[in-house]
Amino acid sequence: MQQLLNGLFIGSIYALFAVGFALVFGILDRLNLAHPAVFAASAFIGIELVTVGGLPFWAALPAVAVVGALLGLIVERVAFRPLKGRPDAHFAGLISSIAVAGMLIALLQWRYGAETRRFPADAFPATRFDVLGAQVTLLQVVIVAVCLTLVVGLTWLVARSRLGRGMRAVAENPTAARVLGVNVDRVTATTFAISAALGAVAGALFAMNVNSAQLGMGSAIELKGLAVIVVGGMGSLPGALVGGLLLGVSEVFAVQYLGSAWRDLIAFALLFGILLLRPQGLFGGRRARQV
Amino acid sequence: MPHRALALFAATALTVTLTACTAEGGGGTDGGLVGEGTGEDCTIGSPVPVGAALSLTGAAGSYGESQQKGLELAAEQLNAQGGVEYELTVEDDQTDPRQGIAVFEQLTAEDGASVIIGPTLSTGAFQAQPIAQEEGVPVLAISNTVDGITAQGDYIFRDSLTESQVIPRTVAAAKAEYGLEKVVVMYANDDALAEAGGEVFAGALDAEGIDVADTLTFSVADTDFRALLTEAKAADPDALVVSSLIEAAIPLVTQARELGIDVPIIGGNGFNNPKLMADAGDAAEGVVVGAAWNSESESPENTAFLADFEEKNGTQPDQFAAQAYTGLMLIDQAVRSSCSGERDAIKEGLGAIEGVPTVLGELTINDERDAEHEAVVQVVEDGKFAVLE
Amino acid sequence: MLTESTVTFIALGAIFAFSFYAVLNAGQLSLGQAGFASVAAYTSVLVAPDPDVVGDVPALLVALAIGMTAGATAAVVLGLPTMHLRGVFLAIATLGFAEAVRIFVLNAEWTGGAQGMSVPKVVTPAIAWIVLAVVAYWFWRSAPTRYGRALEAIREDELAAGAMGIDVGRHRLGAFVTAGAVAGLYGVLWAYTVRLVGPADFGFTAAIDGLVTAMVGGTTVFVGPVLGSTFLTLVPEIQRALGVEAGWIRPFVAGLLLLVVILFLPGGLAGRIPRRLRVPDIAADADSGGADGEHPELRTRVHAPRGDVVVRLTGLSKDYGGVHAVRDVDLEIHSGELLGLIGPNGAGKTTLVNMISGLVPPSWGEASVLGVTAGRTPVHRVAAAGVSRTFQHSKLFGRLSALENVLVGGHLVTRPTLVRRLLWLPSARRDERAALTHAARCLDRVGMLDAATTRANALSYGDQRRLEIARALAADPSLLILDEPAAGMNQVEAGELARLIRSLADDGLAVLLIEHNVGLVRQICDRVVVLDFGEVIASGVPSDVAADPRVVEAYLGTEA
Repeated sequence: MQQLLNGLFIGSIYALFAVGFALVFGILDRLNLAHPAVFAASAFIGIELVTVGGLPFWAALPAVAVVGALLGLIVERVAFRPLKGRPDAHFAGLISSIAVAGMLIALLQWRYGAETRRFPADAFPATRFDVLGAQVTLLQVVIVAVCLTLVVGLTWLVARSRLGRGMRAVAENPTAARVLGVNVDRVTATTFAISAALGAVAGALFAMNVNSAQLGMGSAIELKGLAVIVVGGMGSLPGALVGGLLLGVSEVFAVQYLGSAWRDLIAFALLFGILLLRPQGLFGGRRARQV
Repeated sequence: MPHRALALFAATALTVTLTACTAEGGGGTDGGLVGEGTGEDCTIGSPVPVGAALSLTGAAGSYGESQQKGLELAAEQLNAQGGVEYELTVEDDQTDPRQGIAVFEQLTAEDGASVIIGPTLSTGAFQAQPIAQEEGVPVLAISNTVDGITAQGDYIFRDSLTESQVIPRTVAAAKAEYGLEKVVVMYANDDALAEAGGEVFAGALDAEGIDVADTLTFSVADTDFRALLTEAKAADPDALVVSSLIEAAIPLVTQARELGIDVPIIGGNGFNNPKLMADAGDAAEGVVVGAAWNSESESPENTAFLADFEEKNGTQPDQFAAQAYTGLMLIDQAVRSSCSGERDAIKEGLGAIEGVPTVLGELTINDERDAEHEAVVQVVEDGKFAVLE
Repeated sequence: MLTESTVTFIALGAIFAFSFYAVLNAGQLSLGQAGFASVAAYTSVLVAPDPDVVGDVPALLVALAIGMTAGATAAVVLGLPTMHLRGVFLAIATLGFAEAVRIFVLNAEWTGGAQGMSVPKVVTPAIAWIVLAVVAYWFWRSAPTRYGRALEAIREDELAAGAMGIDVGRHRLGAFVTAGAVAGLYGVLWAYTVRLVGPADFGFTAAIDGLVTAMVGGTTVFVGPVLGSTFLTLVPEIQRALGVEAGWIRPFVAGLLLLVVILFLPGGLAGRIPRRLRVPDIAADADSGGADGEHPELRTRVHAPRGDVVVRLTGLSKDYGGVHAVRDVDLEIHSGELLGLIGPNGAGKTTLVNMISGLVPPSWGEASVLGVTAGRTPVHRVAAAGVSRTFQHSKLFGRLSALENVLVGGHLVTRPTLVRRLLWLPSARRDERAALTHAARCLDRVGMLDAATTRANALSYGDQRRLEIARALAADPSLLILDEPAAGMNQVEAGELARLIRSLADDGLAVLLIEHNVGLVRQICDRVVVLDFGEVIASGVPSDVAADPRVVEAYLGTEA
């Protein structure tokens, strides 16, 4: 029971991280490798807001989301927009986002140093519950709630709102969307902003949850994020949520039944199995290529 | 056929060769490195070049940064003292073996350093230190704790105690204090230092007849240990034995307490850091740390070091900083012993160090060129390290 | 600034980048190379003899051979199940493989875990550059061969490459295995350079490093990886030489430079190097080489005699999720016949020809095309049987020149020259010249020889349509399918095209022409089939069909 809960908690952070990844990939068909850097940056910024700015944790979270969104806009403007229309935009975008990620991490080191930072111990009440013999903290409950709210909200946004219609139109066919009067540039930028805001919230929550923020925290979760979006279906938001939870839970049970040494293999075994059996992922729709 | 491309290719190769040749030249300034007088009165005309190859950025960036602070403090103090001036060059290997090797090659060039400090990580040490050995440049390792570092050659020294010098003592002291019978061992298996520590722990536990109920491994980048800790808790051990660096130590300790694991947690060198208490707070209580540096030592060297470091950097030093600081102090000792800043003189001087009072305690370099000084077993009590007798 | 190791690492970085180049050049993104390198390094360190016993160079040679084999084997093992994946999916799957290797190495006993294995240092800058030269030689010589062009065609447009008779799966696997072998070389050299192999050297960061090097250098010209590696290896060295303070500023500057290169140098550092291709003088060649199609260097195809049935469709149908795109079509096409296929938009014309050319399997019915069953046979086999086509939306190989496009079109009639070119055999030169001449003739036939060196995506729309026809013709087909070739052409161009198409049929080809321009169809076709809502509503000689009331209704009802 404790293990199942452990898996769900870590899984919901994987999910929140991966949803941002998946959003950009699903709508714009681009893999944004600066996402992990935004994840790390927002953890550090969140810590500064709480320790130096004196904000309470619940108020820092939306602020972090805003900062993350701004970073997302910068990433889009610097690394992706200049590549528009190039035949190699797909691969070049990977590289330019890696470059931006490197710069972002360097700036973080300049501002905060290479040392591990953390939220002050009293930033969040350390209330603990006992659920069927398992230990659960209030923070963990909040994390799951925030993750679910954000993912469900985002799914609703994409499915129902005007912005979401624009996003889906761009996902189908950017040229056609432009003809239909969708402001493709604005939709693209908004997508990046939302994606980064989610990554930012994930970063802050993660740092809070594990009591540690490091420059390398983004790259540590990056591979898992990639695994999650493949497992869930590239670009599928509910897929990323389920994929994240599935990965979290399977890792935990791998520790229990296979031994901790093989835990990190689980993500990739899962990924491999999915790619071979159901390449479109658990929730991905098949995108047929037309002649 | 792309002839132009071929020409470009050839031109690149040519430039490479030409520049490589020019790098060979350059005269040494060794003549000015021999001074007059001995010991404290020694005066050397030219500044003694000391190179440090540290990981200032990349995965090991936080340790390198700490070491840099320790070295810079030592250099400042030594240069203020007068007589011998040290020209400290701190280079970044970016936690990348290619950079580590390139930095060592540059430092061992003819007009390079008289002595090299570093690198930060043990894997990097095996890749880079042989270069200095081949070129006859003495190396002082300040943070490598795995076995075999100094066995690479007679120019390789270290002031950091190995895990096998520290851990068996720690295990013995903890057994005496808590009557351990059954423990769970946890270590990061993708980091050389932590993995080696884990192996030494296993050997020491075996020697003490303590039963290892389970061995759990994690990644050096991990920060969420709840799954592993739940597993460890199920084994109902008398203590958790952990080999990891401070990054993992703090979340691990915090989460263990959160999950209701109240048994002692025994750590190695990596845990010896004031941040453990600062950041883990109450959760750090009862953590046992076997280490090469007693931060609470009241020796005059240590008291002064703590005060000066805090004044210069505004933070408390950790073991990396203390060992780095000691490193340059030992080099000064070696230089002054024959009043020469030349490579071979420093090598001889380092080998002859015996009973020198340092921040780490009275330190001797033994015949294997490893440091010998008192290791300390500490336990966290009321937010401070206390010596566990 | 340039120490011995820097020179060595430039070569090593370039070799590793070549292993990415090998697949990127064929349009695939793989991140498994670090895994191949790891497998190769550990295998060779374990198996190869001790340099102290047998000498440095022999030991290294054995190790390199073992490493190459191990890397290539790993690539085959990984490639077979994953080759159907595309783009980012392939990248992530291969990345997963590399991670699995890393975790295995960490946990296995004999590898020394995280502390790694110590290895004697054997590699000198000279050795590293010699190996690099060999690898670069391979990519230099293989680029302008039938094999090299096929890979580039797959990169530009996989579907069109298949329709030109290129076995896409085998070529992709080939590129992947090359990547594995080259990565294997890198792994072994790395181990014997840095004295200690540890799993950390073959992680995700290493893979990203290799990818970045390849992309910065450029993935279309063989010097790209060398330039990329030189640039990236020297960035930290130059910063150090300039006295840029160690710490955060160096990675920041490195990131900035990388960004600048990617944003402002499309195609990487080597992107500005022009590709040169000699356009053969076909007039001179005609005197010595004899009449068209009699080159001994070209493979000749036996065409069906005039009047034979080349295509027989029986009850052919295609459903897309309940929508009947094509319904129950029976049709025969004969050699030497020019058959027009017309119908309103959405009538199922393109779906029908996609089924005939084997791109789309039918839901029911059978399409027997030149002795093969289209839809149950891979596309490239259908092409090999003698089917060649153009596409409604131009599917040229955009970044290749017009002549190269046609050379790819000649894939089926030219001979493989890779091995012979590597060995500088004169026969390879002859064969390549024959292929070039053949391609130039095809270009000439559509009147585009002047544009031979122009990149396909720089051509005007009308020229692109004509180039597609030249490319299709280069396969020396028995059945030529033209999907709206006159779209976007003016009156004069369309007239010339009509004459060309007619002359092809007169040469004995079976031609299936989809066209909106009903006038053009009436003017040149022998027979016309009209499709509406997926069904054949009329068929016969043009004048009869034009008078058919159902046809008139279909056209007037929907279009006019």
